[in-house]
Amino acid sequence: MTKEFRTVKTEIRLPYELAYGETWTRFFDGMQEKKIYGNTCPKCNRVLVPARAFCPRCFVDMDKWVEVSQEGTLIAWSYTNYKYYGMPTEPPFIGALIRLDGTDVNFLHLLGGIDLSNFEEVRKIVKNGMKLKAVWSDDRKAHIMDIKYFKPV
Amino acid sequence: MGRPVAIIGVGQTYHGRRMDVSYPELVREAVMAVFKDTGLTPDDIDGVVSGTMPSMMEGIALTHFYFADAMQAVGKPIMKTETCGSTGVSIAQTAYYWVSSGAADLVLAVGHEKMNEGNSQATMTTVAEPFYQRYFISGAPGVFSMQSQMWTARYGIPEEKTRDAAAFISVTHHDDAFDNPYAHIKLKVSMEDVKNSRIITYPVRLLDVCPNSDGACAVIFASEKMVKKLKKKPAWVRGVGYRGEEYFFGDSDKVVWEAAIQAAQQAYDQAGIRNPRKELDVAEVYNPFTFQEMLFYECFGFCELGESPDLVLKGTFTRKGELPCDPSGGTLCTNPIGATGLIRVAEAALQVTGKAGAHQIPGAKLALAHAMGGVDQFNGIMILGSEL
Amino acid sequence: MAKRVAMIAVAQNAGTESKDNFYDQAYRVTKEVLDKAGMTRDDIQTIVSASSDVFHGGISCANSYYWETTGAFLKNASRQDGESLFALFYGAMRIMTGHYDTALVISLCKGSENPPLDTCTLMYSDPFYFRNVGLTETLAAALQMRLYMEKYRISEEQCAKVAVKNLRNALGNPYAHKKGRFTVEDVINSERIADPLTEMQCAPKSEGMVATILVSEEKAKKYTNKPVWIKGFGSSIDSYGIGDRELLNGQLRQAAKRAYKMAGIKNPLEDIDMAEVTEPYAFQELLWCEDLGFCRKGQGGKMIDSGMTEKNGEMPVNPSGGVLANNPYVSRGLQRAVEAFLQIRGEAGERQVEKKVKTALAHGVHGFAGQCHAVAILGR
Repeated sequence: MTKEFRTVKTEIRLPYELAYGETWTRFFDGMQEKKIYGNTCPKCNRVLVPARAFCPRCFVDMDKWVEVSQEGTLIAWSYTNYKYYGMPTEPPFIGALIRLDGTDVNFLHLLGGIDLSNFEEVRKIVKNGMKLKAVWSDDRKAHIMDIKYFKPV
Repeated sequence: MGRPVAIIGVGQTYHGRRMDVSYPELVREAVMAVFKDTGLTPDDIDGVVSGTMPSMMEGIALTHFYFADAMQAVGKPIMKTETCGSTGVSIAQTAYYWVSSGAADLVLAVGHEKMNEGNSQATMTTVAEPFYQRYFISGAPGVFSMQSQMWTARYGIPEEKTRDAAAFISVTHHDDAFDNPYAHIKLKVSMEDVKNSRIITYPVRLLDVCPNSDGACAVIFASEKMVKKLKKKPAWVRGVGYRGEEYFFGDSDKVVWEAAIQAAQQAYDQAGIRNPRKELDVAEVYNPFTFQEMLFYECFGFCELGESPDLVLKGTFTRKGELPCDPSGGTLCTNPIGATGLIRVAEAALQVTGKAGAHQIPGAKLALAHAMGGVDQFNGIMILGSEL
Repeated sequence: MAKRVAMIAVAQNAGTESKDNFYDQAYRVTKEVLDKAGMTRDDIQTIVSASSDVFHGGISCANSYYWETTGAFLKNASRQDGESLFALFYGAMRIMTGHYDTALVISLCKGSENPPLDTCTLMYSDPFYFRNVGLTETLAAALQMRLYMEKYRISEEQCAKVAVKNLRNALGNPYAHKKGRFTVEDVINSERIADPLTEMQCAPKSEGMVATILVSEEKAKKYTNKPVWIKGFGSSIDSYGIGDRELLNGQLRQAAKRAYKMAGIKNPLEDIDMAEVTEPYAFQELLWCEDLGFCRKGQGGKMIDSGMTEKNGEMPVNPSGGVLANNPYVSRGLQRAVEAFLQIRGEAGERQVEKKVKTALAHGVHGFAGQCHAVAILGR
């Protein structure tokens, strides 16, 4: 394990184009119009967000569409301040699980709108159970980052 | 149910940063070790199961092709099982079902990973699709730190106590690894070292986290007929359980974590285990993060929900405790992911056959092996016993 | 064999590009196969899926993303990487142990969203040697074809005939991606992409979610009066180094021998009524048929000339159009089994063969020049 032999440095890049399909197209069209859509399972009545084509548990097609609240409660958060190759979001950032009001699952997004440079300061502000509100980007592209982040109310 | 199946031999590589060997050579090292352990030859083997993490990890796809020779699989039936981080236990389960079905008598299971050749966190980010989750899942640590926060918040466990208990786990596992010749990280650490190490994703710090390891593991599963014929000391498979839940991280409860609870329950039911803390002699829990290990203790019924930090600090799960967990040093000290679950199985087999050497738990007869995978999504369990 | 295992229902989607996303498409095929079997998600005890990371839209740990689409929420499930017949075998084994009575087996591949096939198969190559030389399945097949033609005096026309036959057969298959009436000249004069292979002798890149439901013998009666039994299965893998292997004498004979032994097949030509084989390159159908024992070594050219493998010949091969017509890479092996199932049940519609099918063979292959083969025997 001590002696190291030659290595080769190489990289793989592969191109993809993925279909959103009907349900998610509608969800992201909503994002472009600053609306967050969920839909309802006709069997267990849970409101899932993002909207789905089917309920993973009841295995039936989802039913009614609902525009859900843009405010919610912080369930869990992770202050991330390390970097790796190919990281899609620039650190530091806070990944957060948010229970949007009136929904039955947690929505994963970013928590922002506060100074993230000092972790100890962040820790004083960010608490599980706090209320958060979506902040929209001005340049919306029917993409998950049309919401810039959720900020403390 | 099915034909009885036993593990009759295991082989591991010296895990670590293995830039002294190519990837196929690493695989071969584990395979040669299991043949040495059992005295069997490749001719004896009826089938081979192989598995690893996704192709993005080392940049080679469908590695059963590349390793056909290293695994001595040429001319043999093959299966390729992959379930993300739980791959190692899923490989073991494929080998178990294969032998139990009657379609084979001796099956070689091989798990492998060479993480130092790729970029593990970048790979894990591709587990998330680019529509919703990829932007927020900060590799594995981000997911697990959110999970541990939800857990402590649910039961109102004081932050200091979980911090101490997690540090205690880190210290004891790092100590344990010194007695395991194959372990990757051999480092003497103190409670203070852990608590002052760099924050990765709060509350997870550097010494709460497993390393990136290169390593492979090979295990031979045998039918009852072959166990008798070969006169090998068997580690009988007494129970197998596996559960997975939704892809969307926010869809299911990760504290009262049904995928973990039900996977264990399925295996316990088969093994006839009612009180796991009393009946199990040792457990090899998949613990890439100290905090998460405690959550597993609770979900596997080793203690009540929310109770684990107290028991950890009392030493219940140390090598001299009531139910020793990860006496090998566990995933925290060695994590070649595609092999890791199979290493848990191999370590459990070594324990119940009395072959674990310096980290043997005296008199161990019944052991649990576990692996976890996906975005906190999958759990697999295998129970091994010295008696059928 | 410990316990007999039956296929009771199948579902697949068309190979052409769909407007669905991957996640919803997988759900719809799962739902369809459950409906056809008269089951709900609750009736399924275990699930085995097949997929492969490089053929999975750039999302790794493939089954993480689609887990719930296959009905697997809080169920014991597993996955096979690369070849979907492995998943069929694994599902059958799980039932043979007695742990489970019902299993759903599904293969998932949305070719339209993946990079070119050879971009993916290049990733099978090692980073030191073969990758730099550009070894892909197409290059490996071209080398194998050259050897085959020269050693056994197989003509370009004989190889092209496979494409003519299969694309014509595909006219009767509503799921086929490519189909049509072409001449041998059309095939030979299509773009010469890796000589001696021309474009029409290479399989396309298709979509394919393919599913089946397996049940134990005890439960089969409850769900169907037309069970199709999995009578035998076998696989075998060859050496990795393409230069280390005999490219015309690969592992298919071994795989077939294992499946034949399990199914009690002594004379394949007599005992098997039709076959669906995986022929991503036209000439491979001839070579594989030799190895399956449908004709003698080196006689594949004469076999296609005789018309024996035509839809209404003595041994119909790929009446569905095979992989040349529809190539959802990972799913193609299971798709062969699904087509064999439909032939045995007499439910293959316009692609149903004239002769009565009691026993059928399904074959899957992947890797350079057929490094790894799998064979299943299905029957009434």
